[in-house]
Amino acid sequence: MQSPPEVSFCAGCRACEIVCSLLHDGVVGPYYKRIFVDKGTRSMVSTVYSCQHCADHSCYLACPRKDQAMCLDENGIVYIQEEYCNGCKRCVKACVFDPPRINYVQSKDKSKRKAKKCDLCRNRPEGPACIEFCQVSCLSLSDQG
Amino acid sequence: MTQLYGYVGKIARINLTDQTVSIIPTTKYVPKYIGGRSIANRIFWEEVGPGVKAFDPENKIIYMTGPTTGTGIPTGGRTVFTCISPNSYPEQYAWSGIGGDFGAEVKFAGFDGFIIEGKAAEPTYLFIEDGEIKFLSARNLWGKLVHATQSKLEEIHGKDVKSVVIGPAGENLVRNASVTTSNDNVAAKAGLGAVFGSKNLKAITVRGTGVVVPANIPKVLELRKKMSDPSMAPRPVVHETHHGIPGIEKPVPGGWKRAQVACSYGCNQHCMCLMLDMKSAFGEERVNHVEKCVSIVAFGFEEDVPYGGPGGPGGIFQTEQNHYPACKLLSREVDPPDPSDPYLELEITPGPGDILNFWKHDFDKGSVINDLCNEYGLDKWDVLIWLLPWLAMGKKEGVFDDIDFGMEIDVESEEFVKYLLDMIVYRKGYYGNLLAEGMARAIRTLGKEKFGDTIYHGRYSRQINKRLDLPISLESAWGHCVHWQGRGFEASIAKPAWVATNLHQMTSTRDTQTVQHHHDTFEHYLELKDDPCRSPLTAQAVIMGENKAELKDSLTSCDWQSPNLFWTDMEAQMFEAATGIPMTEEELNNAAERSRLLFRAIIIRNHGRTREMEVNAIFPIMQYPDPWGETVTWEEWNDLVDLYYEQRGWDKKTGWPTRETYEKYGLKDVADELEAIGKLPSSK
Repeated sequence: MQSPPEVSFCAGCRACEIVCSLLHDGVVGPYYKRIFVDKGTRSMVSTVYSCQHCADHSCYLACPRKDQAMCLDENGIVYIQEEYCNGCKRCVKACVFDPPRINYVQSKDKSKRKAKKCDLCRNRPEGPACIEFCQVSCLSLSDQG
Repeated sequence: MTQLYGYVGKIARINLTDQTVSIIPTTKYVPKYIGGRSIANRIFWEEVGPGVKAFDPENKIIYMTGPTTGTGIPTGGRTVFTCISPNSYPEQYAWSGIGGDFGAEVKFAGFDGFIIEGKAAEPTYLFIEDGEIKFLSARNLWGKLVHATQSKLEEIHGKDVKSVVIGPAGENLVRNASVTTSNDNVAAKAGLGAVFGSKNLKAITVRGTGVVVPANIPKVLELRKKMSDPSMAPRPVVHETHHGIPGIEKPVPGGWKRAQVACSYGCNQHCMCLMLDMKSAFGEERVNHVEKCVSIVAFGFEEDVPYGGPGGPGGIFQTEQNHYPACKLLSREVDPPDPSDPYLELEITPGPGDILNFWKHDFDKGSVINDLCNEYGLDKWDVLIWLLPWLAMGKKEGVFDDIDFGMEIDVESEEFVKYLLDMIVYRKGYYGNLLAEGMARAIRTLGKEKFGDTIYHGRYSRQINKRLDLPISLESAWGHCVHWQGRGFEASIAKPAWVATNLHQMTSTRDTQTVQHHHDTFEHYLELKDDPCRSPLTAQAVIMGENKAELKDSLTSCDWQSPNLFWTDMEAQMFEAATGIPMTEEELNNAAERSRLLFRAIIIRNHGRTREMEVNAIFPIMQYPDPWGETVTWEEWNDLVDLYYEQRGWDKKTGWPTRETYEKYGLKDVADELEAIGKLPSSK
């Protein structure tokens, strides 16, 4: 979650987006981030949108290949195994937030269409990279789901 | 095709006249020319010959990203434009850097850069999306202010596009017009906005869904944490009670709110101050805008920045114990001085800056001035350091007694400043049209002796407690005004530093100090301080600074983080992490020398640059005293120029690089062409 401005003001640097896509996919690009910085053009105030890891995980429930493509781990984290994701986009549509917190690789090649969703860097010992690399420490985890 | 790291592989040639696009592979130029300004210099050398004027369709706007742009390597989000600059006096080839998210988006759209040539038949903007480039009518955008243009483009194409746009100043060919990103980053110093305007080009809007692939991700992440030692600490919005240059702040009734934001995609610093809920020039609605350095004096300009000693402000002469990037100064994260520094007492010797009394502190008026510059798309530096001080000083000296602007000249008045900038931006009347030609040209038309060289009697040095001369026009060289040059604004640096900054400026075509603030070690300072013009160390440090500046605009990187005198291969590590191409510090420095030589060759071939020309351009401003009453003699200056040319491998008589120097850096073809037109020094 993003801190309120009186705690820390997002600098709009997009480090969170960048390290997310680098560590998950080895690239930097708008389809590969699982966290989203919305920078106001006139205001220059940035809002960070991220997966809230809902307890009722509607994305997981919507997945036609659940437990293969979209999986739920023992800590309640919904994550995607991309080799099984067929890019149907149902998880994106099922996300209860606006804008949806699941990214989607659009491609003319159907086999390359994939959903990209925050997995809290579940296999990374240091924890979520977006939090670690936020230069103004305005991102943190919260248990208020 | 082998995987290309860092670069995305294509440069688009965009012809506005016939609306055609062709593609040049980036590999035609890299790695020899690194990226950014280095590639732009090579393209310009090859494609734009002598005789082309700034507003000719034959002038080309070259826009280049660098190999680090969009990779996540800090400061790589900065990019560069080059063109024949209408703001240089005389018109010359120049460059202008810009931050924001635009450069990364260009790479996501599949391009490392553009060559924009010709002239559109009617107002046009470019819409670039994933490799496709469209020429769209800008009839509904023409006339709009900068932010309204940005908003309209988002309305048309979606909120995720990134644009660079011009405002009315660029449309009306105001010579110091800027190009602006969506977060108030500007390419301002080259008058690029007017070149956009001359081509009927209102904006470039980009959306990209592709990727940039850095070669070494662990190294990228290491650089994110190592470069400039990012604070990684919360930065809340702060309620400030005062505003101004640190040390001489003034109270603000009711206070104001400050936040810090990053300027470019993926930077790990936040040196831009975001001023929240500020007064607008165009309506009742409060606005946010960013302040980096010069805009601070919009709010009040009664005295110059304080003197900090040889080591400050900004760390000109540095020790290993006490050096920090300028971004730390702006984000106010400088640690207390390290007491283990053996030179600490000599290094930091605070003292007050000159009294100038240009205008009193007025917080709302300052906000209005900055908003006017932002929305019209005007170079703030020219407005705040040249135009307004000129009017303030000239009025006090009576030089404008016979001038009728249609409103009484009064830089203390918000209404006058609004009237003045409106008059200039829309070229209203004789004086609006004249001042839109830029200060250097306007003053010469009015008569330089009276309107430029009249002495202002309101400058008072608190270093020597004495009134000192200052001309009412703060011109330095090449149609640009002073910037850390020992007199005027940011004058509070002593001779060992300002001879260096003036040497930087001498060989340039525009203000250099945005991308090559002078830095050297404190040990060198102790050696050169008594006779800086006769020390090879001064020339050596200037060359280092110039070369690092080429790298900053080529990799790309940023003047607020680089150079780091105590981590000298930082740029080589950045390049290698982005591209995977092995690069030593020496090899990268050679690439910088090559880029610098190309710039030199362009200004020699296209603009007739000689030693005589550049010494005569810079020498006059140094005849006005610095805050200690110091100037430089003709002999001293020419001795320094000799040392500099000698170290550069340039002929001392002409200032032209020798064939041996060109060939040393792989530019035999350039030497051959210059020899054919008689612009290679004789080998005798």
